[in-house]
Amino acid sequence: MVASIANLLKPWTPRLCAVRWSRYNPYYLEPETDKDVYKIPDTELSPEQKEEKELKTTRPIKAAATSITSSPFNDPVISKFINMMMQDGNKVLAREIMTQTLETIKRKQVEKYHRAPAAEKEAIECNPYTIFQQAIENCKPVIGLASIQKGGKNYQVPIPLKDSRRRFLAMKWMITECRENKHRRTHMYEKLSQELLSAFTNEGNVIKRKHDLHKMAEANRAYAHYRWW
Amino acid sequence: FLHLRGHKTLRKHCTEKYHNITTWTSKLCLFFPISTQTCHTELHAGQYYTLPPAHMRTLFPHGLPPRFQMQMKTFNEACVMVRQPALELITCLRKADYSEPALRYVLYGEKGCGKTLSLCHVLHFCSTQGWLVLHIPDAHLWVKNCRELLPSSSRPGRFDQPIQALNWLKNFKTTNEHFLSKIKTTQRYVWTKRESTEEGRPLGELVDQGVSRVKSSSDVVGALLRELRLQAGGAAEGAFRLAVAVDGVNALWGKTTLKKEDKSEVLPEELTLIHNLRKMLRNDWCGGAILTTLSQTGSLFKPRSAYLPMELLGEEGFDNMDPFVPIPVSNYSDKEFESCYLYYLDRNWLQHPHSRTEDGKKELIFLSSRNPSILERLCAFL
Repeated sequence: MVASIANLLKPWTPRLCAVRWSRYNPYYLEPETDKDVYKIPDTELSPEQKEEKELKTTRPIKAAATSITSSPFNDPVISKFINMMMQDGNKVLAREIMTQTLETIKRKQVEKYHRAPAAEKEAIECNPYTIFQQAIENCKPVIGLASIQKGGKNYQVPIPLKDSRRRFLAMKWMITECRENKHRRTHMYEKLSQELLSAFTNEGNVIKRKHDLHKMAEANRAYAHYRWW
Repeated sequence: FLHLRGHKTLRKHCTEKYHNITTWTSKLCLFFPISTQTCHTELHAGQYYTLPPAHMRTLFPHGLPPRFQMQMKTFNEACVMVRQPALELITCLRKADYSEPALRYVLYGEKGCGKTLSLCHVLHFCSTQGWLVLHIPDAHLWVKNCRELLPSSSRPGRFDQPIQALNWLKNFKTTNEHFLSKIKTTQRYVWTKRESTEEGRPLGELVDQGVSRVKSSSDVVGALLRELRLQAGGAAEGAFRLAVAVDGVNALWGKTTLKKEDKSEVLPEELTLIHNLRKMLRNDWCGGAILTTLSQTGSLFKPRSAYLPMELLGEEGFDNMDPFVPIPVSNYSDKEFESCYLYYLDRNWLQHPHSRTEDGKKELIFLSSRNPSILERLCAFL
């Protein structure tokens, strides 16, 4: 039995390249990059966490990706957005655009903050990270549509969505909206910052697209029973 | 313009707003905005002072770095840190003897250390003392990317740059309005068959001539520089002190990227503007000071790691500029970094919750290695 597991430990190359990112043997575990997790003393761990820690001493662990750091400045949502914006593997450019977007959002908000009278200062949100998170949250659709074939005809059936799918749709709509529907000569970071700020206040084209999807789902409510899962 | 925030009111303002930041009460001295220029001494090193907006509009129509301009727009104020190189330069200017030939000062340092902003600080000091400020914001802009290069009308073998000269004259006019009517020309200048400026006319007329007739604007710049050189520090009652400030002085002795029509390279001395500026930088005139900065950022054909005067000026430049007073500008010291960090906190610029903790501060020090421009770029998106 040990020999078969050891066989699995050698770098496994697929015979057919079926799925991307599955180069690692499934036996390998994900790395834990958050520094605070290691600072918790043993006494405060729950039994499941203790089991996981035991497992990590025996099993091999995947190498951490170069884009993540152990610093608290690292944000997985932002990393995912950068990866989605990236074209032709140009991560440097995608990251640059993201940082410029965050800077533009912060500049606009801080300028508004400094010019506002003292009464309104509390209400203005200046943190670009909270604005980004909230904007993406506002753009996430609650319900999605799937094309199901029944009796030779294809119906758009409303289905529940997984959280990862919702996040993916929100980010994808944001990026396509900024790439296609804005003026050609503006920079991507300007377009993104405008769209994110309007999504933060529940206005703008991406929110409209989400509402359109919800309306379609509501309209096709009758076919909901075609879903079998 | 004296917008002096009192010690007590500042302390109250601090303790109301920033209960968590314990460093406020102990390091209160680091962020004490002072506006009176003349009382800057070593005691004020590391503190921020606010430049009044009216001064900013007249003095700096073109001199400030673009990121600083963005910061001014965002924070709705122009705050500059008082640092050691600027203080040194100000003390030198105070103690210098103005009957002697003009002293040349060269600010040098690594990229992003604060040379341009120190120069702007010193220029503000000069203008509050009533000097005439001749500020060339970036000499590199005159040796590259020139759309229109006209052969000079007055001298064969020289080239004019009308657009650059025009822009500079307009900005010069905004900066030195009050001097233009007081200073008179000492010589008759003939521009074309029908146009000339007589002797004894105010300088304002000379500048207007350059602004309206774009073709002769480069020659007007040359004439202007000559007039100022002759009249600075004179014994007459209308005497004024002249501050010549050139940012990126290594452009004057480097190579250009401009080409003549037969695709041969243009040398810097063949450009009228550069030729006249070189004459200005010679220390054969009295009654003022020459403040310069070296800059690798806009320079042509120089490696990124070059920052010393010998490397950037080259043999010819160094021989021309010698003797000069070199003033090194370095990265932030601990105290200066503290001050900058507290300023950003006060202006609500550092938004990420981790950047407001001690660990976050250590990370910022590590990532920026206390370089002012890198720190500014980091804090921009955090």
